[in-house]
Amino acid sequence: MSTFDRRRINGPEESYPPLFEDGHDVGDAYANWKVGEPRQRRSAGDVRPIFMKPGLINQANGSAYVETEKTKLVCAVYGPRQSRNTAYSERGRLNVEVKFTPFSCTKRRAPIRDAEDRSVAVQIHQAILPSVRLELLPKSTVDVFITIIENDGLESCYASGAVAASAALADAGIEMLGLVTSCSSSMVGKEIWLDPTEREISLAKGSLVLACMPALGIVTSVWQSGEVKPVEAIECMEACQERCADIHAIVSEALLANAKVI
Amino acid sequence: MAVDRVLPGQPILIPKGPAPLLGNGVYSRDGTVRASLLGVPRNQGSTLTITRITPRAPVPNSIVLGSVTRLTPIQAMVAITVVDGVPLPLGEEFTGVIRAQDVRSTEKDKVKIGDCFRGGDVVKGLVISLGDARSYYITTARNDLGVVFATSEAGATMEPVSWQEMRCPKTGRTEKRKCAKPEGV
Repeated sequence: MSTFDRRRINGPEESYPPLFEDGHDVGDAYANWKVGEPRQRRSAGDVRPIFMKPGLINQANGSAYVETEKTKLVCAVYGPRQSRNTAYSERGRLNVEVKFTPFSCTKRRAPIRDAEDRSVAVQIHQAILPSVRLELLPKSTVDVFITIIENDGLESCYASGAVAASAALADAGIEMLGLVTSCSSSMVGKEIWLDPTEREISLAKGSLVLACMPALGIVTSVWQSGEVKPVEAIECMEACQERCADIHAIVSEALLANAKVI
Repeated sequence: MAVDRVLPGQPILIPKGPAPLLGNGVYSRDGTVRASLLGVPRNQGSTLTITRITPRAPVPNSIVLGSVTRLTPIQAMVAITVVDGVPLPLGEEFTGVIRAQDVRSTEKDKVKIGDCFRGGDVVKGLVISLGDARSYYITTARNDLGVVFATSEAGATMEPVSWQEMRCPKTGRTEKRKCAKPEGV
């Protein structure tokens, strides 16, 4: 196998999480679900509860942990440090790296950088880049490292990743125009389901992730995939933007509570 | 009074009167003054700032401390470890360069780098420019700038005796350095 990793103890290729008999896992709520039926367990416009804790990693300049049910990720910010091996630049560089833990998905992920890590990194980079005042950091690099501990759909990784990265940057004391929050949505039948899980994405015909700075009313990034009509996309964006304001409140509260401790 | 912390992006209320100058951690967009750091906005003179004690990159006019890593006839390389009194995290030094013409302000053409610095010396300097891609340009052309800590060939910590000499307390021999004027002398 070409992708064999010699530096680590490799788990068996075919490994799955243990299946509990009953009680532990509630099972697939969408097993007998048909298009047109309402969303299971929460209403269409609801997002999962968000837990956020800034400053969890004390070696890093700034960090944040975000958990929304089965999406768990941690973000660490290092720098500004001197850019090496690059030409002189008046503006700073923002470097985003995403890693999936081997146990983050239902199937084991080899700890090797692949295309999926990079697409998440690019997405998060795009979402937070307009918010960072890189013109104040000549010749420097800010490194953002995101580790996805548990993955419940790429869309929610994009959204939570951007929220965590922005909170970690604020925690690190890096100057920015405003906090970035992000929300994902999916089109299922004729409904818009916000903050979909991986299972809900599989039922959806298309999905959209919006990142914005609610304090300034600026949209920083829109990502869309699947079959979505322009009218529906605009509806999704409006719904997401509304939720982003709520998420902004959670992030601000978490950051202020953390600032009081220091 | 309760401290009013602001978040990045939050508008800051400016009292009526002359508009303050905007310092660190604040910016103005579409006529609104907003915070760009998490912290408490304060007025320092006529400048409105939000200060956070975080390690930051050197900018022109920063006072830096660093140790000499390499000497050449035309310049001394310095690993900057402290910027404006804030130490940088371990292993995240910035590289600076003291060119021969930036060592002192007089007789610039007669400067011999080897008579001003030695490897391992701790130097206090002023950043004069962002320099090139690799390094920041530092000057020691001021009385209070130069070598602040150096060990002699015998291994003892030397004390400055003049602005270009330091003496070893163990052997009594003097070595040449561009010394910084000690504070409070």
